[in-house]
Amino acid sequence: MMLKDIEARMQAKFADSPLKRDETGVTGARWSVELPISAIREAAMEFNGAGFFLESITALDFEDTFELVYHYNCFEPASRVTVRVLCGHDQSPASVCDIFRGAVWLEREVHDFFGIKFAGNPDMRPLLLPEDADYHPLKKTFGKVGAYHKREVIYG
Amino acid sequence: MEKKVREPGGPPVQFALLDDILNLARANSLWPMTFGLACCAIEMMAAGASRFDLDRLGAGVFRPSPRQSDVMIVAGTIAKKMAPAIQMLWEQMPNPKWCIAMGNCAISGGPFAYEEQYAIVPGAHLIVPVDIVIPGCPPRPEALIQGLLALEDKITKGEGRNVLRRFKRVSGGES
Amino acid sequence: MDELVRNEAGDRIYSLNLGPQHPSTHGVLRILLDLDGEYIVKADPVIGYGHRGHEKMGENRQYKQFLPNTSRIDYLSGLLYNHGFVLAVEKLAGIKVPERAKFIRVIAAELNRISSHLLWFGTYLLDIGGITPFLYAFDDREHILDILDTITGSRLTYSYCRFGGVCRDIDWKFIEMSRAFLKRMEARWADYEALVTKNVIFIHRTRDVGVIDRELARQYGVTGPNLRACGVPFDVRRSEPYEVYDRLDFEIPTGTKGDALDRYNVRFREMQQSCRIIDQALDQLPEGEVLAPKVPQKLSPPKGEVYSAFESARGLSAYYMVSDGSSGPYRCHIRVPSFGNLNVLNDVLPGTLVADAISILGSIDVVIPEIDR
Repeated sequence: MMLKDIEARMQAKFADSPLKRDETGVTGARWSVELPISAIREAAMEFNGAGFFLESITALDFEDTFELVYHYNCFEPASRVTVRVLCGHDQSPASVCDIFRGAVWLEREVHDFFGIKFAGNPDMRPLLLPEDADYHPLKKTFGKVGAYHKREVIYG
Repeated sequence: MEKKVREPGGPPVQFALLDDILNLARANSLWPMTFGLACCAIEMMAAGASRFDLDRLGAGVFRPSPRQSDVMIVAGTIAKKMAPAIQMLWEQMPNPKWCIAMGNCAISGGPFAYEEQYAIVPGAHLIVPVDIVIPGCPPRPEALIQGLLALEDKITKGEGRNVLRRFKRVSGGES
Repeated sequence: MDELVRNEAGDRIYSLNLGPQHPSTHGVLRILLDLDGEYIVKADPVIGYGHRGHEKMGENRQYKQFLPNTSRIDYLSGLLYNHGFVLAVEKLAGIKVPERAKFIRVIAAELNRISSHLLWFGTYLLDIGGITPFLYAFDDREHILDILDTITGSRLTYSYCRFGGVCRDIDWKFIEMSRAFLKRMEARWADYEALVTKNVIFIHRTRDVGVIDRELARQYGVTGPNLRACGVPFDVRRSEPYEVYDRLDFEIPTGTKGDALDRYNVRFREMQQSCRIIDQALDQLPEGEVLAPKVPQKLSPPKGEVYSAFESARGLSAYYMVSDGSSGPYRCHIRVPSFGNLNVLNDVLPGTLVADAISILGSIDVVIPEIDR
């Protein structure tokens, strides 16, 4: 029920970002949606209101852009939803840590690994790396890297 | 990082017989520090628990404080963030003290060592002087027991001199 | 002296550094506590002392080469992570797994879950002052390790699953040992109940301590037994059944209040349910192959992404991998349950006693190198 509700609300709110359904189950999510960077908080508030929890935040480093991937899930019934946000290498996305309290650490982890600064997160100290670390190891420009693609190479 | 040599620790004048007797006591009552870093710590716990029972060697008294322990078992991967803490713990231990590098991570970085690995210190010998290495990923408790016996032999300068040693080699032991 | 932090009554706030070397922090966790007398006013867990760069390694390796890493992420339930990774890659590459292998994986995974919970049981009681249960639990755990040793060849860091099945079939000896273990545990549960669950001192150390309610759990993404302790029957094995879990009959134990005692009870009953699962899976075990034929040595899955969740001993874990069509993932992210479970301490610890902090930390059952990855 809740999934249907949020589906309708999301479609109404972000009319120009269509929901992509996944019938195969490979992506693990019922549907995914690609939102503009300005809509992160609005989407988070929708999911918070519908009783979802924030399962993970992670990022992907492409030659042309970062991609933030938010996975929301619900306890009953379990229904995972993916929200993607393209975030340029010099942009700083808005933090959702006042909506989901657990996001402080998730965002700190993304900042550790990719150097993405979340605007509005009060605590951007390194989480997993040493306190004085000034490197971001999961950036494709750091250390040994297999491949560095543009986003369209993978997502077409 | 520069490799450290063992601090002298002992007094300038040594009393051979007394030292031997003291070493005998030291070797047969090794007190390890309760200090685990990763997977190997679980095997270290298993070695101290019911089946393997390190108390048989006098090494089952795990001390939570470095000031009460003789042997530091570096059990697990040494992350760069953890390395200064390990050095501090080592310096807090009173002399004489020994260090066992347990598991491949503590020996050389093990499965996590590759070019441009940014997160770990590849080997405990880079931060503390290591006496015994125990290979394995993780080493089985039997291997830890053998490592501790080897350390006992090192302290008494040979298995034959360790008259209190409970477990003798069947054959081929050094004298 | 004026610069010191003080509370309203003018008493000084003390800072206490718990860890990273501390016998009850289960590894290398450090918590900075601000204390007002014996009460905690602020807790700041500092993690990263076990960071080994698994995710970066994943990007630099082929899928097969990453397999040994998986069981070292959470070494207490290594087989579950090994299993989860294989599931994710199979989904991505579209590999079909033979029936028998599915059952074997479930049996091995549940054995591993029991061994993980037994270790938690032993160490938790050690933390709050009971030394005997530790020896009992490790004795039982050794039996599981023996059973898994016969098929995996390893005691802790198993690399048993393969893409398309498992590397070795189980034999009559494994089945006999598992049956004997299940029989042995039936008597053991009663012992544990008498020794611990009904122990007054234990109940006083855990009841109403460290309450995590549903809303708090949702805010922090708490999953697994810690979530089920507050009454939410959320279990990936039920909600997104993988392998043969939908064909097996088991309950999802839940608590009511979400305190440390509930978490203890949930885990305790989960071990019994795992025994039930193993029993049924052994009964229903079909004959046949254990490894799918024609899985290429070097996998190159099609472009795309996979998010594959599974229930580890500590909660919802998942592998998120993006493939660029080459033989290794472009991005390999691991969602670990302990991350959320530890994060919640930021909210749970303030207001409790220092002695209770140890009880809470133990009851939450975190594995630090799993969080740090």
